[in-house]
Amino acid sequence: MSNYYNMPKLPTENSPKVEIFVDDRAVMVPGDTNLLEALKAVGIETPHVCYHPYLPVSGNCRQCLVEQEGPRGRMLVISCYTPVTPGMKIYTPASSARVKNARKATQEFMLVNHPLDCPICDKAGECTLQENYMEAGQNEGRLRPEYGKNYHGNPEHQFIDAKGQLRGGKHVDIGPRILLDEERCVQCDRCVRFMRSIAKDEQLQLAGRADHTYITTFPGEKLDHEYDLCVTDVCPTGAMTAKYFRFQKRVWLLAHTPTISMDDSLGANIWLDHADGRIYRVMPRCNPEVNRSWLSNTSRLAFQQFDKNRLPAIDASAIQISGGKVALVAGGACTNEDLAALKMLKDALGDRAELFGGSLLKVGAPDGIAKSGDPVANRAGMQLMGFADVAELLKRAGEFSNLITVNADLYGEDAAAAKALDKISNRIALSAFDDATAKKAKVAFGIRHWSEVQGTMVNSLNILQKLSAAPTCPDEKLAPAYEVISTLAGNKFNSACEAFMKAREYVPAFADITYDAIKSTGKLLGGNA
Amino acid sequence: MRVIKQKPMTVIERLYIFEAIRGLWTTLKHAARGLFRYETLPTISYPEGQPEIRNTYRAKHRLMLRPDGTPRCVACGMCAAACPAHCIFIEATQSDDPRIEKRVMRFDIDHLTCVFCGLCAEACPVDALRMDTKQIIFEHRSREDFVAHLYDLTNWDPKDYPNDEQSQMAPGGTKNAEARKVWGMEVK
Repeated sequence: MSNYYNMPKLPTENSPKVEIFVDDRAVMVPGDTNLLEALKAVGIETPHVCYHPYLPVSGNCRQCLVEQEGPRGRMLVISCYTPVTPGMKIYTPASSARVKNARKATQEFMLVNHPLDCPICDKAGECTLQENYMEAGQNEGRLRPEYGKNYHGNPEHQFIDAKGQLRGGKHVDIGPRILLDEERCVQCDRCVRFMRSIAKDEQLQLAGRADHTYITTFPGEKLDHEYDLCVTDVCPTGAMTAKYFRFQKRVWLLAHTPTISMDDSLGANIWLDHADGRIYRVMPRCNPEVNRSWLSNTSRLAFQQFDKNRLPAIDASAIQISGGKVALVAGGACTNEDLAALKMLKDALGDRAELFGGSLLKVGAPDGIAKSGDPVANRAGMQLMGFADVAELLKRAGEFSNLITVNADLYGEDAAAAKALDKISNRIALSAFDDATAKKAKVAFGIRHWSEVQGTMVNSLNILQKLSAAPTCPDEKLAPAYEVISTLAGNKFNSACEAFMKAREYVPAFADITYDAIKSTGKLLGGNA
Repeated sequence: MRVIKQKPMTVIERLYIFEAIRGLWTTLKHAARGLFRYETLPTISYPEGQPEIRNTYRAKHRLMLRPDGTPRCVACGMCAAACPAHCIFIEATQSDDPRIEKRVMRFDIDHLTCVFCGLCAEACPVDALRMDTKQIIFEHRSREDFVAHLYDLTNWDPKDYPNDEQSQMAPGGTKNAEARKVWGMEVK
């Protein structure tokens, strides 16, 4: 087996259309991609285990077989590694019993030694094997009970269970965040390919051959990488499970809210999976332009702090702006709606107010996967709205007598640099958390966290992306930042939509854009707005 | 259309008085039977006399136990998924036993919401949940008391289930010692 495979070519909007014959019917499909994606583009789903659109094609599962008419008659080929050629003749299970049987047999082989763990498996409900079984398999068990399951993977982890079956590797501690179940593994090598080609740190390997193959790390080493939790996403079975989510909740009980991770300016698209008013996990949401299917551990595990150390909601009349100059500081997690409200407050206060945005954290380098390294998520939005950098404020702190920070934990980020702000007497902090800035402030006003608000942000690729509110707010009385700020400005926004309408007035690039026009993958803002 | 013709009443029946007396006689007969031949009545006098309940009757739930006394439940949530009344609440956690992955931490059944359909017992993949306790009377002081917790569900006596092999394997059962030997078997 070669170590290096090709990345699949995915169809785009500009793909040339070619005519192929599927089940003797002519269809137009994207011409520059593989057969699996081409069939998907015309609505024919092909079951697959090892193929992943953002991983190199390895073609080892043989689950995506179709028949192709060739010079030697109709042959079974794997659709994930067969490029589309004009005029090719393809037969799917809809017309070919041979394809149907081949897929069924592949499925049956894959399940021969797969444990019947589904009731206690964390992947149950979103497992590729379960899906394929329902779609292509449905075999009756032909395993003789006296023979039972027979695991011959890693010999170190083999044991004989109470029924006398050879079992093995039920919970192998493969790393600080991941647990491996070698028995559930189907050796699709997606995790190996992820670590090799995406994470660029080959920590996982397939060891052994044939039926004895198992996933392992190098001797004495552990799976430990900033993106290692992505292997639990790409794993089609429950072999790789995240320790933080292990046994927490059955996946079918989780509701999903599509939103944007506001801790990095790439704005990774995420699903917030929540149940009973709390977030259980964060999953990457596929966006080909932004984070593909990947999400860093930092963004993924940040949710564990979302409901901790929160500020309570207090009465808005507690916020008193005294005479003198006012500095309005927006933090990185501020949405465009919050920024529009701040700008409106500046207009209401007149010339004595100034807008600043950003953070005192250092801007890192993009890692090329799902992080740009810039902790100010909505920096592009701040630039569009004309916010000055917060470093400017530190230099001229002496001029101001009022400071209103929104989601900006300046003291927590760099206490030494933020000392300059001590000169400002009236410090008001609008923050979700009781952080260092909130503790130093005269008035600390609790607002909603970004996971609980609707809004938009502009990421570092100039894509306008939409946040949705997950119903996980610990206190109903907490209001979104734009609502509090617009109340101060004397023109209360009752919804994020109203706030966005205001943002449209300020930013020409947002003109004519409505919430409905922003797709789930965002909207690229034209030109260098 | 099918029309059922009623038999016309006879003269005696139309006179009414004789029929009325006949009805009264039936009542009197049953009253006398209740007084003198009470045992032959088809009804039972409920609080004193209890109905005979078979073990197939869908009564209060119980959780089966392993030979070492831990619940057989693996907290898979199949019963909660099958429950049409949404009255089962399960929380899982990691098991201390290396051979068992998942163990139940919280298992609550709200018997005020439960419709006793038996789908939970049917859904259970490990035969942990049963409804054969024959307990059909639920009387409690507060609504909270109607929620059966893990302790209530596992707190049953094997002596009440003499013919059930699985129950006898639980601690206190006749087959417990034997089952414990198999259960505690060194597995490697």
